[in-house]
Amino acid sequence: MTNILDDYALMSPLRHRNNWLKLAIVLFGLLVGVSSTSPITPFFIALCMSFTTIVLGRAPFKLYLKLLLAPLGFAITGVIIIAFFSGSGHELLSFELIGYPLSVKADGLELALLVLSRSLSGMCCLYFLSLTTPMIELFAVLKASRLPDSVIELSMLIYRYIFVFLDMALSIRYAQTVRLGYSNFRRSIHSIGMLGSTLFIRTLEQGDKLFLAMNSRCYDGKMTLFEVHRPVRVMELFLTFAYFLSTLTLFYFTKNISIV
Amino acid sequence: MIILETRSLKYTYPDGTAAILDLNIEIKKGKKVAFVGQNGSGKSTLFLLLNGTLKPSEGEVLFHGVPFKYDSKSLREIRKSVGIVFQNSDDQIFAPTVYQDVAFGPANLGYSKERVDACVQHALEQVGLSRLKDKPPHHLSGGQKKRVAIAGIMAMEPEVIILDEPLSNLDPVGADEIMDLLNEFNHFGSTIIISTHDVNLAYRWSDYVYLISNSKLIGQGTPAEVFREQELLKKASLRQPTTLEIYQEIERRGLAYGKNSPKTIPELVNTLKPLDLMWVDVPPRVKEGDSLNLGVMYGEYATQSPYEAINATVLHIHPDGRAIVELKLKGIKAGGVLLYDTDSYSLEEIRQILKEGEMVFVGAMGKKSKTLAEQDGIHLDVTSGVIDKSILMALCGKRCLILTAGGMVDHALKKIREYVEKSGIEFTVGVANREEGCKWLEETDDSPEMFNV
Repeated sequence: MTNILDDYALMSPLRHRNNWLKLAIVLFGLLVGVSSTSPITPFFIALCMSFTTIVLGRAPFKLYLKLLLAPLGFAITGVIIIAFFSGSGHELLSFELIGYPLSVKADGLELALLVLSRSLSGMCCLYFLSLTTPMIELFAVLKASRLPDSVIELSMLIYRYIFVFLDMALSIRYAQTVRLGYSNFRRSIHSIGMLGSTLFIRTLEQGDKLFLAMNSRCYDGKMTLFEVHRPVRVMELFLTFAYFLSTLTLFYFTKNISIV
Repeated sequence: MIILETRSLKYTYPDGTAAILDLNIEIKKGKKVAFVGQNGSGKSTLFLLLNGTLKPSEGEVLFHGVPFKYDSKSLREIRKSVGIVFQNSDDQIFAPTVYQDVAFGPANLGYSKERVDACVQHALEQVGLSRLKDKPPHHLSGGQKKRVAIAGIMAMEPEVIILDEPLSNLDPVGADEIMDLLNEFNHFGSTIIISTHDVNLAYRWSDYVYLISNSKLIGQGTPAEVFREQELLKKASLRQPTTLEIYQEIERRGLAYGKNSPKTIPELVNTLKPLDLMWVDVPPRVKEGDSLNLGVMYGEYATQSPYEAINATVLHIHPDGRAIVELKLKGIKAGGVLLYDTDSYSLEEIRQILKEGEMVFVGAMGKKSKTLAEQDGIHLDVTSGVIDKSILMALCGKRCLILTAGGMVDHALKKIREYVEKSGIEFTVGVANREEGCKWLEETDDSPEMFNV
């Protein structure tokens, strides 16, 4: 049953904590990480966020690594290019590749590390949010942020029906597979086209049924959203402030330090 | 009192196919009604007409004797009073969490936040899903989804609940739980209407049956009446209920008599008593038709229960002082069924009852009681079809304890007392932790007379 991030978030013990507190932590991490001038602070943020996600949020460690690996791949490629092609100052490393001189300079490396650390901290912050806060908790946040009601209602319905149609699509695909619908490329294209068109028709039918279901329960054009009240506990507040303070201190003392 | 009524109701789909033709029905308050017919016979369309979703082409639907009006205000009133549970729960559950889905109806009725919360908590507790209230529907099993759908309707406190094929796609235990739930709602006064093509279910469960075939009503009556008419069933492409079919075969072979309509297995078993005749010496002055008390049998001679009183009716007296009598065995100190109301629950008390009452068979009805038993490690011998199985065990002289709560207590009590009355086999029935108490536990004496009801 657990194959999407939302499922892990639903099972996380941190799900039942105050949403606003979590959002504040994430926003703080993103802002400080991006505005930091040395790579130390962002690395610290990434470490803290990963610790919270895995230890307090009980996200599976292997899954977390896998999740990080995908965007890190892109980041590292970029970082290597930055390291080789930018900056000035004394050379740290130089060699020739097929007659073309390549060198890593101190400034370039510094910049590369900064970019890497910033993107890592950003990713860790966002994964913290998506692995501990399922979509259903965020609807209340959307509502409080004064988005139009119709947008929120639509997103609630869409969220529910994503899974209904996902199930439907999977069972159609299975029905096609057992009758050799994907045995070669031509047939696969054909089958997937059929799947799409069937799903489209089913969504229209489902729309009708949804209207019926809502109507028979006295729908009057308004879906009420009930926000669960989750008070912030003293311990949580204390931990958050400790984290904020230590990050800011680190931010202040490392602003002029270069590690290369 | 008639709660829902249709008069020459007719409905034609926009493409011209007739779905309902000239339908006249009267549904009485507090009844359990089943509409039986094969797929595509028009049951679902009828249900949509009964809660005002579809507007009839001709004829009218009446609620408490007042014809439906189809303006939005009257429709609201009707839909509040007549709740409908769809066949496919995924069509009905649309909110991202269980709680929000159940709260949808009450919130639309304009209740205050506190009242909505109370309604939802109550409904979820009744269906036994309080623990899952923050789950998204796609994490639930089929039976759980069905219960969420029912809770969503219950939360609006309707007078009539309509369920379209309530047991489709459910496993036997899940199906039993849903039926237990419906019985409980019925006990508290809700009128319940279901559609089904399961004749066994309709026969066993309902008070009144409508047979529908090809958009028309072809028969109605109590289940015993309707399901005896084989021609009618053939016309509706339905089979006879299994227990009835077995009974009729047994009757045809002369192994049972009396034109009964057994609905449950205990009732069926009880009909398996051929006339028991015996030659006995009778004292003079005994006339034909008199009753004789022949004493008490026990041990291997008593087949039904540890002790059996034997009464005989004299059918014919021979000149030499001997007579043919029909024997009637009556179990004394048969087993018994003790109910325990888990609304006031204490583990120690149950332990004590199990020990001192010599209970050998324990069952639980309703989600709440089952969960409680599971938590406290009470071994349950049976969790589905509990009443029937307990009666069967009691007939064999065993003592049973049923853990249950709320309206189910009275429902079970009524069911078992009815059986005792109908069958004439006496065994003790009682509720352990209610004010009237239970004689059973206080008198653990061995004398058989004290255990008579």
